[in-house]
Amino acid sequence: MRTISIALAVARKDMTSEWRTRELVPALAQFVVLALVIANFAFQIDSRNAAAIAPGVLWMALVFAGLVAFGRAFAAEREQASLEAMLLTPAAPAAIFAGKALAAALLLAICEAVLLPTLALFFGVRLSFDVVSAVLLATVGMAVLGCLFAAMVARVRARELLLPVLTLPLWIPFIVVGGQAVQAAMGGSVTGQATGLLLDLDILFVVLTSLAARFVLDD
Amino acid sequence: MTRLGQASAAAVALMLVAAGFIFLYAPTDALQGAVQRIFYLHVSSAIAAYGCFAVVLLGGVVYLWKENIAADRLARAAALVGVVFTTVTLVMGMIWAKPIWGTFWTWDARLTSTLVLWIIYAGYLMVRRLAEPGRQAARFAAVVGIFGFVDVPVVHFSVTWWRTQHPGPVVINDTLPAEMLVAFLITMACTLFLAAVMIAIRYRIEVLMDQAAAKTVPAPIAAPSEAGSAR
Repeated sequence: MRTISIALAVARKDMTSEWRTRELVPALAQFVVLALVIANFAFQIDSRNAAAIAPGVLWMALVFAGLVAFGRAFAAEREQASLEAMLLTPAAPAAIFAGKALAAALLLAICEAVLLPTLALFFGVRLSFDVVSAVLLATVGMAVLGCLFAAMVARVRARELLLPVLTLPLWIPFIVVGGQAVQAAMGGSVTGQATGLLLDLDILFVVLTSLAARFVLDD
Repeated sequence: MTRLGQASAAAVALMLVAAGFIFLYAPTDALQGAVQRIFYLHVSSAIAAYGCFAVVLLGGVVYLWKENIAADRLARAAALVGVVFTTVTLVMGMIWAKPIWGTFWTWDARLTSTLVLWIIYAGYLMVRRLAEPGRQAARFAAVVGIFGFVDVPVVHFSVTWWRTQHPGPVVINDTLPAEMLVAFLITMACTLFLAAVMIAIRYRIEVLMDQAAAKTVPAPIAAPSEAGSAR
């Protein structure tokens, strides 16, 4: 499968460059911990309300960390004009896009590996398999949408302004369904239906973004 | 008088006829009183807005498929008119909600998804302003228009699935009295005509703006090689 090997190569390139520079992940990890500290002051958290507020804080931190991560996904490519070089190769734009989205999703997942335990520690909530799976499933859909619009805004003026405006409304379904799933899971009830819905949304947006990638990248 | 001028005059006259039906023909609601008359234009504008965004979707798909500039202009025009009608829907709905629900806003599925609709197409208009005019703006906007149209029903249903405990609005029940139904259908037809005329006017403006841009800029089509380094 050529497409998959191209996507994996692009993703490996991004992960290698992140490993060598180590810029984004430490900054994001610090960002999410800071978000928890801010939430503590903003919501006046104490031992009684912490568990009720925790899911909301989780999604707020995740959404804004995601915006930063995906905004950076195409920054290096833009600065060195390397995206044009990749597009000159016979590789399909959809494959290149899949690689970028995969790398961005992995970076956000690393950031979640910091966020979730910190949240559990500071807010005293339980981390179950359901919580982790809901967050990871939402990450997939958020990553493909975020990367599509990051690729788009990388080429327009005022890109920092446009990325949240375009991305956040499209993430709402993931936040609605994922938010309910996490709330239910932290409260100890089952989340079977929500997991299925997140999977459906992932499939829908992975298919749509891979169809649209050609028009956004190959400009 | 140009054809567009005649159509505009007809649209204004038709809206006055609709106003006549709303205020003189339709009976006053027994429970809600005069404020119920907002319903006719509120629902009509919502339907007109959905129609406009369907045109944006179709225009975007046709543009991506055939690179047809007319389809893109139509999408551009319909997006702007759609945002106007969504604004009318939201504002009139809030004016109705204050006396009836006791609050301007509630996080109901329909209200939430309409607000998201407005935000998405406001973003669409921002893409049009900020992207490089021509092929890039058209392509990017087409993608935003298509994703926006897919996302709104998804938002609506995802909120419905999870927020059923919240009180929902009862906007239309099937037992609308005949006079009210007539007034509503006439208002809807007039509003749809108004929307079509507004799209036609905006389409004409887009044509003129494209022509003006082609005259002032020495190279009307920018070379794609600089696309990556465009600031």
